[in-house]
Amino acid sequence: MIRFNKVSKIYPGQKRAALDSIDLEIDKGEFVFLVGASGSGKSTFLRLILREVQPTSGQVFVAGKEINRLANWKVPKLRRQIGTVFQDFRLLPNKTVTENVAFALEVIGRSKEDIKELVPETLDMVGLDGKGHRYPEELSGGEQQRVAIARAFVNRPMLLIADEPTGNLDPATSVGIMKLLDRINRTETTVLMSTHDSSIVDQMRKRVIELSEGRIVRDEARGIYGYQN
Amino acid sequence: MSAIFSELRASLTRNTSMTISLVVTMSVSLMLASLGMLLNAQADRTEQYFGDRLQLQVNLCTKNSPAATCIGGAATDDQKAAVRQALSDNPEVKSFTVRSPQENFAQASELLGQSETGRQQLATLGPDSFPESYFVTLKNPQEFDGVMSQVSGMDGVGNVNSLRDLLGPLFEMLDKLQWAAIATSVLLIIAAILQVSNTIRMTAHARRREIGIMRLVGASSWHIQMPFVLESLIAALASALLAAIGMAAFMWFVVYGYLRDTLGRITTWVRWEDAFVVMGWTTLLAVLLALIPTLVMTRKYLDV
Repeated sequence: MIRFNKVSKIYPGQKRAALDSIDLEIDKGEFVFLVGASGSGKSTFLRLILREVQPTSGQVFVAGKEINRLANWKVPKLRRQIGTVFQDFRLLPNKTVTENVAFALEVIGRSKEDIKELVPETLDMVGLDGKGHRYPEELSGGEQQRVAIARAFVNRPMLLIADEPTGNLDPATSVGIMKLLDRINRTETTVLMSTHDSSIVDQMRKRVIELSEGRIVRDEARGIYGYQN
Repeated sequence: MSAIFSELRASLTRNTSMTISLVVTMSVSLMLASLGMLLNAQADRTEQYFGDRLQLQVNLCTKNSPAATCIGGAATDDQKAAVRQALSDNPEVKSFTVRSPQENFAQASELLGQSETGRQQLATLGPDSFPESYFVTLKNPQEFDGVMSQVSGMDGVGNVNSLRDLLGPLFEMLDKLQWAAIATSVLLIIAAILQVSNTIRMTAHARRREIGIMRLVGASSWHIQMPFVLESLIAALASALLAAIGMAAFMWFVVYGYLRDTLGRITTWVRWEDAFVVMGWTTLLAVLLALIPTLVMTRKYLDV
């Protein structure tokens, strides 16, 4: 699903590499935690997969395609296969829950019929059945993150990237979100999640990749958080 | 498509005051640009009427000509032949064309027919009062003295006009007005372009969250740009419409309501068909003015 081949990234004006010669493979259907201190290269790693930045050297493959060689006009097609969830939810405050989720399908030109079918189905799946008419500000943090997950998953992507999705949530709510991500993972969707939440990583016992100063310092199949803030 | 239109509607509602100010600036600049183009059309009309401004116009005698060379009344066939021969033989003459009295009458009818008094005069004069004329193109337009002095003394020649002298000030005035209108409109067009860019920058900032999500979920570049392009296009077409209304008002009140009646004898004035051509060009200009900065700026600010 994802393969990094000697990937390095040095941002303009920086001396130190944000990522330094990364070799890595993530298979289809895996659930992977990406851990490491702030500035360890987690965000750069995720941005490279989304083709938001280009590597300074090396190759990045997503779903068999070398995406650093992808023409600009093909990038949207790549992103349609990847769902993304952020710590700050990034919902549109002037749209209802249903509209927020439908927006992701409307802007890629999906038909009204598809939208009518997929949006309620996805809201039901994330546990927001009956809350479609509410606005984000009327929801709790956990519910807002569920809307963001619904929006990321509504187009049934092959890969779901979650950038510290529980960072703004209390532990009990975080558990609910993790259960949801685990459920999505069981639909054969690869989940790649960066986090600082040790208890979640320790409970889930999934693959853990630890980054430090742009290098992979640990890659365990059923790992624990291990790293202390 | 409905998503694009709903974005467009939201954007227009959010930016009403900015869109209005853009339309106002753009329509004023387009009005000036179209005035410049209309003046250009006017110069063409004037040139068409008077012929090439570098020519000499040799008018033969009519039955009423007061010149000493017209004592015998209207020019005879022999006199006409002699004048033609002289023009053909003169080494300074490049070519010449003949305009019959009937053709001159028709030309005058076009000019004088623009006003009521002119039409009355035409009825009094009749075609006989108009001379046969030779429009002489010189090899070197600056050196018309030789030809002028040669033919002006010949029997049967009523008068010789240098159209360059006659029309110089008129053309000069038209040229100056045209350049003044164009220069002012260029300044205003720059203002309009900057305003389009500003509007896009502010809209892009106001909509950064939507745009960020659109990029993230894989909306295509054109899908992200389209509401901006449509918004600019609507502003451009509204501006072009206002400029066209301004142009129509100018034609109605100034050209048809005043110039053709009161200054009808100077030249033939621009007509509705000229104004419609100008309106077409203005609309095209408006669309380009809006689209080019929009496409450039959306690429810059939306990172598409």
